[in-house]
Amino acid sequence: MRWVYPLSPETEEPADVLGGKAQGLVMLRRLGLPVPPGFVIGTAACRAFLRDGRLPAGLDGELAAAIAELEATTHRKLGGPERPLAVSVRSGGSVSMPGMMATILNLGLTAEATAGLAAETGDPRFARDSRRRLLSSYAAATTGGEPIPDDAIGQLRRAVVAVFSSWDSPRAATYRELHGIPHDLGTAVTVQAMVFGNRDDHSGAGVAFSRNPNTGEQVPFGEVLLRRQGDDVVSGGSLTWPLHDLAGREPTVWAGLLEALRRVEEHERDACYLEFTFQAGQLWLLQARPGRFVGAAAVRVAVDLADAGVIGRAEALLRVSPRQLRLVRVPRIVGVGQADLVARGLGAAPGVAVGRVATTADRAVRMAADGPVILARPATSPLDLHGLAAAAGVVTARGGPASHAAVVARAMGKPAVVGVAGLTVDVADASVRAGGRRVPEGTGIAIDGTGGEVVMGAPRVATTAADPHLRRLLEWADEVAGDSTGRDEAARLGAAHAAIRRGASIP
Amino acid sequence: MTWPDSAHATGADLLALHTLRCIGFASLDRVAAAAGLPEPEVESELIDLAVAGLVTRLAGEFGGWGLTEAGRAADAERIADELERAGTRAVVAAAYERFLVLNPELLDLCGAWQIRSVDGVASANDHADPAYDARVLERLTDLDRRAEVACAELFAAMLRFRRYRVRLGDALARARSGALEFVTDSTASYHAVWFQLHEDLLATLGIPR
Repeated sequence: MRWVYPLSPETEEPADVLGGKAQGLVMLRRLGLPVPPGFVIGTAACRAFLRDGRLPAGLDGELAAAIAELEATTHRKLGGPERPLAVSVRSGGSVSMPGMMATILNLGLTAEATAGLAAETGDPRFARDSRRRLLSSYAAATTGGEPIPDDAIGQLRRAVVAVFSSWDSPRAATYRELHGIPHDLGTAVTVQAMVFGNRDDHSGAGVAFSRNPNTGEQVPFGEVLLRRQGDDVVSGGSLTWPLHDLAGREPTVWAGLLEALRRVEEHERDACYLEFTFQAGQLWLLQARPGRFVGAAAVRVAVDLADAGVIGRAEALLRVSPRQLRLVRVPRIVGVGQADLVARGLGAAPGVAVGRVATTADRAVRMAADGPVILARPATSPLDLHGLAAAAGVVTARGGPASHAAVVARAMGKPAVVGVAGLTVDVADASVRAGGRRVPEGTGIAIDGTGGEVVMGAPRVATTAADPHLRRLLEWADEVAGDSTGRDEAARLGAAHAAIRRGASIP
Repeated sequence: MTWPDSAHATGADLLALHTLRCIGFASLDRVAAAAGLPEPEVESELIDLAVAGLVTRLAGEFGGWGLTEAGRAADAERIADELERAGTRAVVAAAYERFLVLNPELLDLCGAWQIRSVDGVASANDHADPAYDARVLERLTDLDRRAEVACAELFAAMLRFRRYRVRLGDALARARSGALEFVTDSTASYHAVWFQLHEDLLATLGIPR
């Protein structure tokens, strides 16, 4: 094989060949964790495609061989009328470019294969739902509006072309330009047997951190959706459950997930992130990467890992960049119990805002005369901007950190929480609803534009600068640097980094 | 770029009404700038619209001219009517589709302008690195060129949309000449005008946000 590599523990090619995603899957397989079988088309094929405008000679043959092997492993046939094999086709270069490139799921579900899947499972609705997801992900990946071929190998070929082409989409090129990523790397394509989170009542998908990414606390954290595929969790369009709900609903999946988080964390010696799907009660891991915690959470994980003897104090110090510590003076909501948490969205503009909730821009303007207001909207349009100008902060049900609402809130310097799935703004009823709770207009709430929390009342607000873990990390820093004069946090840590690089030993 | 003279022209009263529909509450000078009409003319139209109960003027810090509920309904009806009479629905719909391809990239650029990610840590762009800012502005300039192409037929067909071309070009030129607030921060910033164009396309086609 020249272009294609198996997703197996023996595969040793580096990330610049396999892409980060596939390399993570190979690592999971080495750890003996459950990963759907599949293969990777390396980045060289993408570079050849981008250079020549067509798939390289020989790739078709290798694809056919890899599919044949996958069919033998799964005892299924791609696009077959009985026991059809469906696959996921995902992009993934050596440098992560989240959301920039194409992904096609449920590939191989031709009309005939969909009928076969319905007959096999006795669940036509599930089969139709899966086919619908293929059509929508295929349409999103191929902007030309071309019809989807009804032969499975043809679908696969087109999907690979779509993923390779997406490397050169103007949006992806802009992303690389802004983040200093070379334009000539190309992406790999990971093809795996589909596992169906939408299969039945014991199926679902989710994401999990080995520790809480907001606080660094050593508690698994994440979210899960039942009877859904993974893209529903990541897209933020659906109301998710807290990860821990799995413990009661799917104890076997939960136990498997805890074990996976433990093994990956032990292997990486750092907090980790997993994407998973469970089908009919069986757990599958679809992605693994480092946790990439920031601010207080990064500090706490470094200190906890050093205390546990997993890493040394020098490494703990090096794991937190002085730049991270600039964030420690951003106010955060602290010590909020589940009872006061109304909802959680995505932090889009940092800071905490406390005020009475208003459901329209006009009311926000009127109410602001009597004190601070939080504007809650389904999404924002220019018609809401005078309300946002009058408000202390904004929360929207839809949208991501790159939405008009987020851009405007940051421009105005106001804390913002966006993409709060499950938040309903009922203008006629003058209330917002979330998590079974009705919050009438005028009720005091608070939002945290870093962690995305929306809470009742006026919670305690603090900066990480007072955090005991940070205090200890900085004490270690002063010991290493041999300097305990009063400087700001970033300077103290920076001096320690310089001392470690000069070879200073840790007391 | 030159456009044919066969473009549909919107009357000043509907233009004033619809401008408020797309920009929200605004002072007279902002309405005039967005509509591309002299202030006295816009003011006269707004007063007539206020008498008809379609717009209102709020006092106070966050006030200005804005639509009433009746004004919003009237605008929806009249702008849909204009689209049918001008026969430009297909042109606007096609422009909207192309706009949606560019919109995520514009939002990425605005995000990158405001927040810079270094060593995996995102923090506010303090604009202390001119090379980084220049990179963002280069990409914005490139996107602006593609947006002009994407909307060329729209500008050719409907006069009122050409105003966006002028305003986007102004914002970009000012940002490139060092007025950094014209990327995302000012009420006449590139993002502000783009956001209004997005709203206008939705409102014109009768698509809820």
